[in-house]
Amino acid sequence: MAAVNAELRFEHVSFSYGTVPALRDVSFALAPGERAALLGRNGAGKSTLLRLVTGLLHPAEGSVSVGDWETRGRPPESLARRVGSVFQHADQQLFARSLRDDVAFGPRALGHGAAEVARRVDTALAALELSAQAAEHPYDLPPAFRKLATLAGALALEPAVLVLDEPTAGLDRPLRARVARALADRAAAGVVVLVATHDLAFAAEVLERGLVLDRGRLAGDAPLAALLTSSGRLAPLGLAPPTGAALSAALDLPGRPVRQRDVANTLARVAAARGPV
Amino acid sequence: MARLTLERVSFWYPAMGRPALRDVSLAAAPGEVIALVGNVGAGASTLLLVAADLAPRVVGGRLEGRVKGEGGRGIVLPTPWTQLSGMAFTVWDEVAFGPANLGWPRERIAGAVDRSLAALDIGALAARDPATLSGGELQRVVIAGIVAMEPALLLLDEPTAELDPEATRLVWRLVRALAGDGCSVVVATSDLDALPELADRIVWMEDGAVRRIGAPALLAEQSLWEAGLATTVADVWRTARLGAPYPLTVAQAERRWRQ
Repeated sequence: MAAVNAELRFEHVSFSYGTVPALRDVSFALAPGERAALLGRNGAGKSTLLRLVTGLLHPAEGSVSVGDWETRGRPPESLARRVGSVFQHADQQLFARSLRDDVAFGPRALGHGAAEVARRVDTALAALELSAQAAEHPYDLPPAFRKLATLAGALALEPAVLVLDEPTAGLDRPLRARVARALADRAAAGVVVLVATHDLAFAAEVLERGLVLDRGRLAGDAPLAALLTSSGRLAPLGLAPPTGAALSAALDLPGRPVRQRDVANTLARVAAARGPV
Repeated sequence: MARLTLERVSFWYPAMGRPALRDVSLAAAPGEVIALVGNVGAGASTLLLVAADLAPRVVGGRLEGRVKGEGGRGIVLPTPWTQLSGMAFTVWDEVAFGPANLGWPRERIAGAVDRSLAALDIGALAARDPATLSGGELQRVVIAGIVAMEPALLLLDEPTAELDPEATRLVWRLVRALAGDGCSVVVATSDLDALPELADRIVWMEDGAVRRIGAPALLAEQSLWEAGLATTVADVWRTARLGAPYPLTVAQAERRWRQ
């Protein structure tokens, strides 16, 4: 259970790496329980935006806030009470001798007592079906499991906002489904979920709103299903509809479903109505 | 003459009781693209490390069976941030690092680097410091560095994991083009939907062993579907309980649907 529910708000945020501008005048707000995909080309500014949420970076102009906390002036370890994150190179986030110790690091650092730490670790590991591997050394597990372990570490903070950078890269379908279930569960508890991803099929399954970055600017903010069925809107952004949505468009399925299960159900219905294929 | 031959190869990582590869035999012919598919822990990454002569030579462990390679080999690891030379202050120099170490004359190095940057559409990054790149940009730089060495055998481990859809298509087109020039490619990928147009053969791995080898049509079969390894279209077709033959791609589905 998240300690607090809080809105994530960007107001006129700009940021540059030296002379290379990364974000320009970005504004949006995500309400508690919203699940958003952050989309865009490589180098569009997605990871920079996520680092601004965690307080690893601070805006050159504008402000980022999580509930009534502005990130400016707050070090990441303080923001960690409200923000959990997983970065692209998740391997580098692990260091303990067992998965359990690794996941416990965050809640311990927040000052929780042993019983509360144990509760949070058990809950987070169970949410990702990692309980059976709790005693294993992270580097005895395949990289995909280490990736899940870093997500468990973020969940164990029980944050109001979860920001994830490519959480499904390198995961197979069963592991993607675990991540999808865990994120849906957190959003249902009021957690803001913001996921930078190129995995549009995963985004279609789990996320509801699409924020699109193009060369550092917020170029789109729309319901994800509408965005993913519009190749006209996706193509200029270097994106393409996920296969399920493309199939639904190619077969002209009614309602243009995008989630794979919905595509299959609609296809079965239409096929039954028109006789044997 | 095969570029890579594995004969009954088993491999154990150091201090591991269970083998990561079990009795694997595989040969890659010139111009062939072989895709390794399987769920996490199936052994695809280990197979690539063995094929690259990094396991056991660099990572340690124990190998049984025979591994034979012909010509230069290059591997793109799934962790691009670990694969930078650390010796270059620009992307151009980073991509030149491999070819320079092959002792090529300067003009040949320059030509290979420029072609490789163009092939990956990262010419605009040539003067950038590799340390300032995004994850996807970095992955393309690493691929460019390996491709610039003109390997006869190209080994790719999830080379598009961090790439946007446009860059992903670019990399798969490049792989086909390199194969067209005679390069042998072995690629481990979870981008199953790309495989019908990318791969000549599919190798399904499970628990360190090769379960099946066949044409991309394998990706619609019942056993692979049950393992979560069907293409999205084949998966939808089967879930909808529509009959065989199962389409693999949107284009194939469309043709069947219009019949």
